[in-house]
Parts: sequence; structure tokens; C-alpha cells
Amino acid sequence: MPLVSALAASHAPNILLEPGREWEDFMNLHYSMAPQGSASRPTLEKQKKLRQDAEQAFAVLRADLEEAKPDVLIVVANDQFVNFFWNNIPTFFVTTADEVEGQFTRHHFHYRNHKDLGKAIVRAGMDKGIDFSFGEHIELQHTQNVPLYFLLREPRIPILPIYVNTWVDPAPSPRRCYQVGELIREVADNSKERVAILATGGLSHFPGSPRIGEIDESFDHKLLEVMRHGKGRSLVDYSVQDLLQAGDTEFLNWMVVIGAVGDAKAAYTAYMPDVVATGWGFVSWKL
Amino acid sequence: MSCYHLSRLLFDLKMSEAVYQRSLKDFEAVIADYDLSAEEQDALRSGDPRKLRQLGVHGMLCLYIKRLNPEFRDNIYWQQK
Repeated sequence: MPLVSALAASHAPNILLEPGREWEDFMNLHYSMAPQGSASRPTLEKQKKLRQDAEQAFAVLRADLEEAKPDVLIVVANDQFVNFFWNNIPTFFVTTADEVEGQFTRHHFHYRNHKDLGKAIVRAGMDKGIDFSFGEHIELQHTQNVPLYFLLREPRIPILPIYVNTWVDPAPSPRRCYQVGELIREVADNSKERVAILATGGLSHFPGSPRIGEIDESFDHKLLEVMRHGKGRSLVDYSVQDLLQAGDTEFLNWMVVIGAVGDAKAAYTAYMPDVVATGWGFVSWKL
Repeated sequence: MSCYHLSRLLFDLKMSEAVYQRSLKDFEAVIADYDLSAEEQDALRSGDPRKLRQLGVHGMLCLYIKRLNPEFRDNIYWQQK
């Protein structure tokens, strides 16, 4: 079966935190790195509106995903010092566990992992010159859990977490991430199952940086426009430094999905800067 | 100069409940368990993530020092990863 659905969505923790005290906690912690960011805190009313808008965007993505009737959902995300530390940072990592689980505040997540598809991707990579790391245990974190809460709350199908190092220097190039996406597409097209893929993260934000609170909205809008026109291939010429400057290194996760969809035009895009830290972005491609 | 051990302590503070609980009781004893320079030890004692960042620690790991600050101990952030 071919790839049947492709999605991309932000994974900012405050999307799933409750407006009010939990958002305030989140801001208090992050602004301890940059007190000036605190000047632009959204009101409770604004927080609730953002949550509502995000839920609507996720509802579109969830409807597209369900309509495609996938047998498995590949989740391309980055680690943030949960599974990987400075003793070993994989550039690309494929999960070959039987099951995966994790916790986000009140919410527990537990899925079967599609290790056969994972191994098929690792083997195909070795044939084509992309040598993935792989391993049999990972803990799901907000980079997967936030979008999964809205898109696949009930574990009806297995998932397959794939990690991209967007998090520490040196990160892979957008071109390399695109090539990984092309490889995944090839494996999916040769699979007997219906494969869907989700990229998480972004868009512009500067976590743990003195620039926390800045959002490069114009850069984000440019990325979304490129995707709407089916010109994602042109983004391979960006450097990691370009993305870093715009606070968009997690867009490397998205580049994998862009490589998987090729020249397909995004059918749906939505964008809402959360005022706190992150330009929330949402995209669906109908394949 | 690598700040591996400093980063490791901060990582353990978030990921290891045992290290966190020990740190609440006797942070000096925990600091002594890691191979740290005097400057790194002082930055930890300051509790200021910005000072840790100046020593080369990844920004997100720097924030984990706030887990020891009484004002931040009940922060919702520690209930997710």
C-alpha cells in the first residue's frame, strides 16, 4: 500500500496544559531564562482561545487521518534529554520495541510499536546508505504525547516513533532529513499495510534560550506557503543555521515528512503564534 | 571545555527521583558525587539557569536547577517529560 496520510503538528507542552495555573507554571519556568519574555504573557481568555483553536486544527488533522484508515502511524519527533543524553546522541533513531509508553501530567499513553516496519526502514536505510540507530526501549515524551492526545488518544493502531536530532549541535541537514523521508516513503509504498506519518515540533521557538518568547512568524508563514504550493523540495537548500536563526530546528522533523510527500500540496494549514513561546503550526496532506 | 558532568547532574535532577530527593536533603553531598570544577559548583549553588548556560550547558538542562527552588517545586512542568 502507498503512504495514505501525512500530517505535521506542533508539540508545545502548553497545548495540552490547562489554561490558567498550568500555563502560568510553564511560563514562570521558561521565563526564568529570560525575564523580559514575561512582558507578553497572554491573558486567561487568550489562553483558552488558543487551546480552542488548536483543538479545531487537530480535529481537521484527526478527521483526515481517520479517513485514510491507516494500519500504523509513524511519529517523527525529537528527543529532549529523556531517552538520549550526551553519552550518545543518535542523529536518526528507529524504535524497535514491542510497546512504548509515557506520561504527560494526568494522561498516560501506551501503544503497540510496529517494530517490523521499524526494522524494514532500518534495513532499507542500510541498503541505501542511511545508517539509522535503533533500539528496543524508549519513553514517550511531550514531543509525541501532545499530538497523540489529539490525534490517536485511543491506541487503535500501533505507532512507530522515529527520532531526529533537532536538539543538540550538530544536527542533520534539511537535505538529509528529506532523504530519510524519501526512504520511508519507499518502504511504505512496498508495505502491505496502510502507513500514515506525522511530524511533530516547531514552529519557531527558542526553548531554554535568552530569546524565549520571540517567534519568527514571517519565517513560519513562508514555510507553510511553500508546503501549500507543494514546493517542499526547495527547502532542502536551507542550512541548519538558517533554521536555528529562526528558532525552527524542529522543522527538521517536518523535513522528513516533506521528503515522504514529495511534491504533494498541503491540503490544510493552520498557524497560531501562542504569544508565550511558539508558533503553533498544523498541516495535513491528502495523499 | 566539556561540561558533561555538570549537564549529567542537571539531567539526573529531572530524570532520577532518587537524585532529586537526595538533592533536597543535601545538595552539597550530591554535588560532591560529580566531577565538577569550583566554577560549576558555584553556578549550581546560585540556582540561576542563566549562569549555568554561560558555562555551556544546554538551555533546557539549565532550567532543571529550578526544581530545587521552593517556588518551583510544585511546577506542573515536572509532571511531564
